[in-house]
Amino acid sequence: MNQRKSKIQVRDLSKHFGSLVVLDQMNFDIYDGEFLCIVGPTGCGKTTFCNVVTSLLPCTKGAVTLESEPIDFKKHNVSFVFQEPSCLPWRTVWDNVKIGLEIKGYPKKEIRERVSEVLDLTGLTRFKDFFPNAISAGMKQRVGIARAFVTEPDMLLMDEPFGQLDTSTRFHIENSLVQLWQKKKQTVIFVTHNLEEAVYLSERILVCTQKPTKIKKEVYVGHLDHPRNIADPEFVKIRREVTDLVRWW
Amino acid sequence: MEGRKEQLKSVFYNLLSIAVAAVFWSLFSAWQQSPFFPSIAQIWKAFIGLITVGDIEGIGLFSHIWASLIRIFAGFAAACVLGIPLGLAMGLWPKLYKRTRAIIEPIRFIPPIAWIPMAIVMLVGFSRYAFLIWLGAFFPIFITTLLSVTRVNPLHVNVVKVFGAKRSYIIRKIVIPSVLPDIATGMRVGLGIAWMCIVAAEMIGGEMVGIGRLILKYAELIRMGEIIVGMLIIGVIGFIMNEIFIIIEARIFRWRSEVSID
Repeated sequence: MNQRKSKIQVRDLSKHFGSLVVLDQMNFDIYDGEFLCIVGPTGCGKTTFCNVVTSLLPCTKGAVTLESEPIDFKKHNVSFVFQEPSCLPWRTVWDNVKIGLEIKGYPKKEIRERVSEVLDLTGLTRFKDFFPNAISAGMKQRVGIARAFVTEPDMLLMDEPFGQLDTSTRFHIENSLVQLWQKKKQTVIFVTHNLEEAVYLSERILVCTQKPTKIKKEVYVGHLDHPRNIADPEFVKIRREVTDLVRWW
Repeated sequence: MEGRKEQLKSVFYNLLSIAVAAVFWSLFSAWQQSPFFPSIAQIWKAFIGLITVGDIEGIGLFSHIWASLIRIFAGFAAACVLGIPLGLAMGLWPKLYKRTRAIIEPIRFIPPIAWIPMAIVMLVGFSRYAFLIWLGAFFPIFITTLLSVTRVNPLHVNVVKVFGAKRSYIIRKIVIPSVLPDIATGMRVGLGIAWMCIVAAEMIGGEMVGIGRLILKYAELIRMGEIIVGMLIIGVIGFIMNEIFIIIEARIFRWRSEVSID
């Protein structure tokens, strides 16, 4: 794993809100094309981490760099799948998915091709002309994923995107996500408090402590093939290991 | 099919409510036997008379309606043209509002009717009416636009920010579509107030034409039939305008979810 090229560098990253230390000197690398999961208990500052990484919130100390340069939305290709459904209600599914490409000024023909492909991969083609008020919560979240993948980002950040979905919908979308990632091989940072989800999806898991949040340990999962079997002894073993790490603070 | 059935039901109950109101009025009028409470037949007769013969000065009913409508549209259009961009600008640059609110807010609380003497002194003819309507319609439009900009969902802004959207893109593609439904609501409220203002203005203003003036002419003669015709015309035109607004809103904002507590 460590022989892979480092894509994103997190160095001494700290975030304070007044006297409250939320993120405390976090240090790690994310490798090119890696699917990394960050797990931690609810309220440990995972969303703050996402907002700091994407510069939606300024950090107090340290830095996050993309290929050794400070992240700049205008220069770097970054996508974010938010925790809450974030479809723009006045745009159809198609128009929601294409928005990143539209902002980045892609030609119309390429937008058409890319959006068609990603809608097909996420199973949304039939719903392309629907407005978000006419589709389910699961589909809305899939729109968010399609919108994030369509730009083929250098860094894709996902902040507990399936937290509000029921188990079967979540499994379905998780499988779509893995297929999409296997096809596109983008660098993904997936933040969740669902340990099984982390083991099911990722190549590597970073386990966070309670506030002030630090990286407690990293766990490798990349040797398990997709689609993963949640009853597989190795899967169960890793899940138990991660659970123990989360349990004993 | 279910929707169509519901629509027909709705039309039926609306017609029924009009019929019930008419029956109540008829009973009340028959009981009172007073020229102050004319029967429906007398009101109808007054209506036909205003159409065919005109008012006491021979001015036809449609001339009155047309004069009021033109004044309404002029004042209302001016309120939209000024209120929407100003509301957007002050919402997008809150400092602009914070630094000028000491002049804006007190004006908002002065009723348009209180401006009538000033309008009579400073303006003449058509501009007098347009100014009063503008005053009435401007603030609901301006305030709803201003407030709706401050309530744009920050998540929607972040969605495009992450893709590197420029400020102009955020305004055009996120802020404006987000605030349009609220602006439409403000416009509807503004239109209602515009009607209130035009009637008051026409009652006091100098010209002899307009629905407000028509009501006043017959108030001096204590002819309630014509007065009620004038009142009903204002109500019906306002209702039609409101319905047109609702139909347009439903078409433009079909992406909006209706909230029901049933």
